[in-house]
Amino acid sequence: MSCADYTDAIADFVDGTLDPARQRALERHVEGCAACRALVADLKSIQAAAFTLDRVELPGQLWKAVQARVATEPPASARGRLLAWPRTRTAMATWAAAAALVLATGIGIYSVRQPVDRHEDTSAVGAPTDPGEVVASVQAELQAAEEHYDKAIQGLEQIARTESGALDPQVAAVLQKNLQVIDQAIGESRAALQQQPASTDAQDSLFDAMRSKVALLQQTVELINEMRKGNQAEAGRLIKGLNQ
Amino acid sequence: MSPSKTTGDVKSADLELAGRIRSGDGTAFESLYQQHAPRLYNLAYRMAGTATDADDLLQDIFLLAYRKVGSFRGESSLGTWLYRLAMNHCLDVLRSRQSRQEQQTDSLDEDGAPAPAAAPALGAVSRIDLERAIGQLPRACRAAFLLHDVEGFGHQEVGTILGISEGTSKSQVHKARLRIRAYLTQPRSTGH
Repeated sequence: MSCADYTDAIADFVDGTLDPARQRALERHVEGCAACRALVADLKSIQAAAFTLDRVELPGQLWKAVQARVATEPPASARGRLLAWPRTRTAMATWAAAAALVLATGIGIYSVRQPVDRHEDTSAVGAPTDPGEVVASVQAELQAAEEHYDKAIQGLEQIARTESGALDPQVAAVLQKNLQVIDQAIGESRAALQQQPASTDAQDSLFDAMRSKVALLQQTVELINEMRKGNQAEAGRLIKGLNQ
Repeated sequence: MSPSKTTGDVKSADLELAGRIRSGDGTAFESLYQQHAPRLYNLAYRMAGTATDADDLLQDIFLLAYRKVGSFRGESSLGTWLYRLAMNHCLDVLRSRQSRQEQQTDSLDEDGAPAPAAAPALGAVSRIDLERAIGQLPRACRAAFLLHDVEGFGHQEVGTILGISEGTSKSQVHKARLRIRAYLTQPRSTGH
């Protein structure tokens, strides 16, 4: 047998999975073959060195970065519902609008708006036909969307609060001021919605303000990450964006 | 130690953890992260070659896991499912890169194995040299080698993670060791 016939046996021998009969045959071959003896020794050395390679330490701040990205995602349980939603032309149009928002902002959202065009077909299977039912369904979706935004905002706020020491006080003050303006807009939109729950303008206004808050908090977390990395150029770019 | 979990209890624990993540339980997701992120970071680091890329890859991996946890059905352990998702992502990212180093590596990715050296040349292998040699491996070889020889997965599990057969895993790992040997025994400039 030639050396090439022992290729598999050598691989199994190095792995420690060679059966005794084949191992005896390989040992006989290796005794008389310097090249295969060298090969086995080297592969064993490589395997041993690989197993003792140093562990690379996981940077502690990575969990915060993962948290920040996940905070803007809808729960996985809502995701399936989101994908299964569109059944009617109205719902499809609403879905397209929502998808455009997702693309524009990078934020997952599973809200839908009240149907705008009352002439569109809503008779497909699964669509509510009673106007009262439609309003209740839309309100439930709006509430779910609002809860989602609130959750994302809470998560990001927590990160921004605990890591705010990394920020320059002047930058922190600008961020705080911007957040206050957005919070005021959210409060006013909520008040308007309470007065007129079916108002699409009030719905738009509330979700615009919430999207702005999520985006600002995302930028804040991103800025904190860059400051911690010591990446001044990227941090400067982000601060410029925050001031615009 | 392999992340494989075979008992019914552990499997139901995986399903329960996945269910909690699906329902938005942040502590469940953090538990998944704490359990697997250290090893996945090592894999991502050695697949990509730099800490910055490993940071990005790990974030992407856990974001993907969060998005896709609804597809976990308990057919394998949650760990194996996560490693499969992670390695697929790493390989996709590396495949899409057109860096010069990648092109050079691909040019070496031929079927033929390097010719064996006539005499043992290695002795004790330097870890620094080994890290460099790993970085030169073709992607598929590197993935199998890291999972098997560095992380300690068995060939069957490497096959499940990479979507290849157990035999292909053996062959890829052996090919990787031969390539590392060829890299370590070749004459190199020391002027850097």
